[in-house]
Amino acid sequence: MTALELRRVSKDYGEGPAEVHALRDIDLSVEAGALVAVMGPSGSGKSTLLTIAGSLEDPTSGEVLIGGTALSGMSRNDKARLRRRSIGYVFQDFNLLAGLTAAENVALPLELDGIAARKARVTSMATLEELGLADRASRFPDELSGGERQRVAIARAVVGERRLLLTDEPTGALDSANGEAVMRLVRAACKRGVAGVVVTHDAQLASWADRVVFLRDGRVADQTSPPPGPESLLASGPRQAPGTGQ
Amino acid sequence: MSVRHALLALLSEGPKYGLQLREEFEARTGEVWPLNVGQVYTTLQRLERDGLVESDDAGEDGPQKGFRITADGAQELAGWLRTPPDLSSPPRDELVIKVLVAMRLPGVDVHEVVQVHRKYLVELMQEWTRLKEDEADYDLPLALAVDAELFRLDSVIRWLDSADGRLRRAAGDPPGRAASPVPMPMPRLRRKAGVRR
Amino acid sequence: MSTSLRERPAGLGTGGGVPARRAMVRWAWRLFRREWRQQLLVLALLTVAVGGTILGAAVATNTPPPANRGFGTANHLVTLPGNDPHLTADIAAIRRQFGIVDVIEDQTIAIRGSVNTFDLRAQNPSGPYGGPMLSLVAGHYPAGPGEVAVTSAVASALSLRIGDRWHEGGHAWRVTGMVEDPQNLLDQFALVAPGQVSTPDQVSILLDSSPAARFHFPRGAQVQSIYSHPKSSGISAAVIVLILSTVCLIFVGLVAVAGFTVMAQRRLRALGMLGALGATDRNIRLVMVANGAVVGIVATLLGAVLGFLAWIAYEPHLETITEHRIDLLSLPWWTIGTAMALAIVTSVLAARRPARSAAGLPVVAALSGRPARPQPAHHSALLGGLILVIGLLLFAFAGSSNGNGGSGSLEIVLGLVAITIGSVFLASLAIAVLGPAGRPAPIAVRLALRDLARYRARSGAALGAVSFAVFLAVLICIGASYRFSDVLDLTGTNLAPNQLIVYTGCNNGACPASPPAPAQARAIEARVAASLGTHDVLALYTTSATLWRASTRNNNFTGTLYVATPALLRHYGITPSQVSPGTDILTSRAGLSSVTHLNLIFGNYFGNGHAGKGNGPGAPPASCPASDCLASPKIQTISSLPPYVDGPNTVITAHAVHALGLHLNGLAGYLIQTSQPLTKKQIYDAQQIAGAAGANIETKSAQPSLSQLLDSATAFGLLLAFAVLAMTVGLIRAETASDLRTLAAAGAGGTTRRTLTGATAGALGLLGGLLGTAVAYLAGIAWFHSTPGNLTHVPIVNLAILIIGMPLAASIVGWLLAGREPPTIARQPIE
Repeated sequence: MTALELRRVSKDYGEGPAEVHALRDIDLSVEAGALVAVMGPSGSGKSTLLTIAGSLEDPTSGEVLIGGTALSGMSRNDKARLRRRSIGYVFQDFNLLAGLTAAENVALPLELDGIAARKARVTSMATLEELGLADRASRFPDELSGGERQRVAIARAVVGERRLLLTDEPTGALDSANGEAVMRLVRAACKRGVAGVVVTHDAQLASWADRVVFLRDGRVADQTSPPPGPESLLASGPRQAPGTGQ
Repeated sequence: MSVRHALLALLSEGPKYGLQLREEFEARTGEVWPLNVGQVYTTLQRLERDGLVESDDAGEDGPQKGFRITADGAQELAGWLRTPPDLSSPPRDELVIKVLVAMRLPGVDVHEVVQVHRKYLVELMQEWTRLKEDEADYDLPLALAVDAELFRLDSVIRWLDSADGRLRRAAGDPPGRAASPVPMPMPRLRRKAGVRR
Repeated sequence: MSTSLRERPAGLGTGGGVPARRAMVRWAWRLFRREWRQQLLVLALLTVAVGGTILGAAVATNTPPPANRGFGTANHLVTLPGNDPHLTADIAAIRRQFGIVDVIEDQTIAIRGSVNTFDLRAQNPSGPYGGPMLSLVAGHYPAGPGEVAVTSAVASALSLRIGDRWHEGGHAWRVTGMVEDPQNLLDQFALVAPGQVSTPDQVSILLDSSPAARFHFPRGAQVQSIYSHPKSSGISAAVIVLILSTVCLIFVGLVAVAGFTVMAQRRLRALGMLGALGATDRNIRLVMVANGAVVGIVATLLGAVLGFLAWIAYEPHLETITEHRIDLLSLPWWTIGTAMALAIVTSVLAARRPARSAAGLPVVAALSGRPARPQPAHHSALLGGLILVIGLLLFAFAGSSNGNGGSGSLEIVLGLVAITIGSVFLASLAIAVLGPAGRPAPIAVRLALRDLARYRARSGAALGAVSFAVFLAVLICIGASYRFSDVLDLTGTNLAPNQLIVYTGCNNGACPASPPAPAQARAIEARVAASLGTHDVLALYTTSATLWRASTRNNNFTGTLYVATPALLRHYGITPSQVSPGTDILTSRAGLSSVTHLNLIFGNYFGNGHAGKGNGPGAPPASCPASDCLASPKIQTISSLPPYVDGPNTVITAHAVHALGLHLNGLAGYLIQTSQPLTKKQIYDAQQIAGAAGANIETKSAQPSLSQLLDSATAFGLLLAFAVLAMTVGLIRAETASDLRTLAAAGAGGTTRRTLTGATAGALGLLGGLLGTAVAYLAGIAWFHSTPGNLTHVPIVNLAILIIGMPLAASIVGWLLAGREPPTIARQPIE
């Protein structure tokens, strides 16, 4: 099933000489259970792609489909409901609401969707437990380390029946060990059927994805083919890259 | 990394047989570095010759022969651990040369060349990452070795990114200024490299 | 992740229903608990407003003496003189007629070696009506012959304690208790059991009678009804306090808008995150509105507690000032309840606008912390202009209805609200002008002005609050100047503090039903003067004549036209040579001589139905016949006549009395003057003496003078403006602390910081002063449009202080105080 599909999506900002084409005719589809990385330098339009895919912004032209449903023609409230039920976000450095504990932060999308507080809390605790964060459940964001904050953010992004996990440089402010822990969680979520998109300029982060899409000047410049699997590395030792002579 | 010092390191834990040494060597380097039996024994003989290890007895060579480290060997190992590897001189990097050539070759889009390499490197990294994802929980040496490989590949990609950006800016600049640094890059590089070597 | 949530609540629409709202309110409450310090300003202002309202309302309602003072629970009080030969029979007759009565007998007893007296009072403590007039402080009530209970002042004057023996007039009394009259602590007496006063000087009978009941009371009896007692006119004191607190809350609301806007800006990323999580616009609005409600509720509860504590602390003090016992719980509860509700509503309303703009922002903009672009200023200016015009119209309506006798207080309050809201909208226009205006200024000033223009929501609210402070002050100044410049309807201090008028005859057209005979009047005067210990007495006479201006619609001559008797002229040191021959009227009212269409009316003109008395719609001046009127009497201004409104400030000369053959109305009263200002006790005693004889007295009321009014209004406006500036400039500059850090990194030192703060304060002050004054003048013109007069009596000094002095002082103080490096430079608030 295609969890996210972008069809000829373009986004322009500004008008006249100040017009910026952030995205041009982007086609992208992410299957359920797949993790796609969008890689590109600053200003390549990758963050815009994420906000458009997550219904936070409307494309100038083109169509976005989430779980097969087109976003065009949806009201602000309909989109809000879609976000509550189907989309989880993880941003680089600011994710959790101060004043709410980790468990309450995770329960928030459920409560916003009309699930009673107690029940939402049970679900949120279950999710935190799965991610090994049960002992941090009653901590406030400012009592958590950066890595724990991002992991709680992922818990919040996947709680309930989310089908789409959108992350923007989720390990940007973390050291590599914490970054790896976060990416392992994202991978784990994808293994359970969530479609993931990670936007980054960091190749190490992108290498966790099943497929890497290279974005340049608002266009898809290239993408990797699915890797043959780790066995190939061991079978023949490190392959010689065409240019990395050793 | 020299096999010599790896074997010394293994022996510093205690006396070991030849076969044991080979198995442990492979286990510790995360099976990234396969080793044949002959290599192990050749190295052991040299070590013995240099007085860094000594064997049980002068009996038959083979997998059942035991080895232990000498005081000289321990000293040699300690000195080696603290000697920085030779990173000061740039390797003759084939990738760099390819990009430099592509830049000046008419009819070749240097960005496309860069992207081909970048894509290949990312795919390679994906494979390493997948290996780490599947195995590294149980295998610390493997994780360390994969990390090293990932960081190395990452640095190459970073260089590609930076080269890409630099080329782009140069193309955007007026041709008069952009032309001047381009014509003579290789001789300069070679000269510098030559001095060091 | 794997936890299934199959059963989604159905039919909730898109909002998430109650659980979503509950989650939002919970978060708002948590945020308040974490960040209440950042909202301390709004909290403190609201708390003070609520606490002040409660204390003010409590004091205002409990300051006037109880309405039933002297009546107990009865509605009529009959006083019989002690020299009534048939006293016992008369009392019996009244008792027969009315059934249940309460008889109180008083005998005046002098304290040896003192001019003070007290009463020996026989009253039944459990009498049917007199209960509220007696309370036991200690011991027990006198139960039989030979027992007495005294008030504290009597006890100390006679050095008596409970158990002591007191010998008086051949009697020996044993003191059994201490008593007081809770309705009147000045009432000093010694209480004995009923029937124990053998020779009363006065007998008071309390009885309940429907007003219609007719009974022929014996000669010499004075009958007072509780219904005829003067009630405070129109609006009760509590309502005035409520109006004041409304105005105060409008003001607090403006500051709160600025505070909540800053708050919303600070939380913008969190609100954006909420939007990204799928909160609807309503949910996001709810967070901010709930925050406003929490602030309002906390501040209101806190204010209520503080207000009640202050009341409990102040109440004993108030009892000694007002000389009557006060029930701690006799408070205007509905006023207090309304004020508390208003405070919460104010806070919620103030939170609404920032809430709406935060919720309307695109999620992406909110997530990156970019505030909404300010709306084009002309939009809000148009709306502001419209609301301002509505406010001015309401004021105009209130102004004309006020002249016609209506109170128009609702229009005033609504008008004030509309004018305030209108000015806030206009304020954002004025703020928008600031940015370009500062272009040629040095960098620090330019930066300060540009920041004000950029963050228009909060600087607009701050400017609105400053201009509102100035507006109130200038409006009071204009109104007072206008009012005090009216020579016909004089306003001001009624009497000097050492003066007292005993009215024994007609006073300002109102004549007592049974005026005392001249001899009796003379006796009253003598007793009052004796009680005050003075001989400085001036008899005041009136004629049937008065001044009347034919052409005005609203204001006409007020005051009494006394006769310039030789004694009066002598009293004020006016020699006959000072009076020009042929003068009809002497006055101390400067400008009265130049008033046109003035007639001296003396005949039966009003009686003939030509015109209503005094203030009614006027008949054309031409129709006033010479037999009834003297058109344009000759008026001479003599400054040595007293300036007091109720003193003889305008007198008719003997020449006019003779020339017009005026009929003397006779003695109006006596102006009695003492060397020292009158004490409360003296006034009370004089009231008792005059009241018992059917006369009234007048003493200096609380009416302030013009300069007092202007000065206090200006001081009030200044204080308010300074307070707002102190709070909002701090708020605005604290928010731009990161700019300061950048500036400091760029090498800017303390001077730049000082200039920034000074320029911010000065610009807000100057704009606020100008805007407030302009709007106040518009409101003044609207208010007085129906009473054509001039608004040219401009209190220039006061205006200059507000428009020039206030911003100048604000920027100097800002400059001086901003020298210290603020701690916010070092650390940014954590998200």
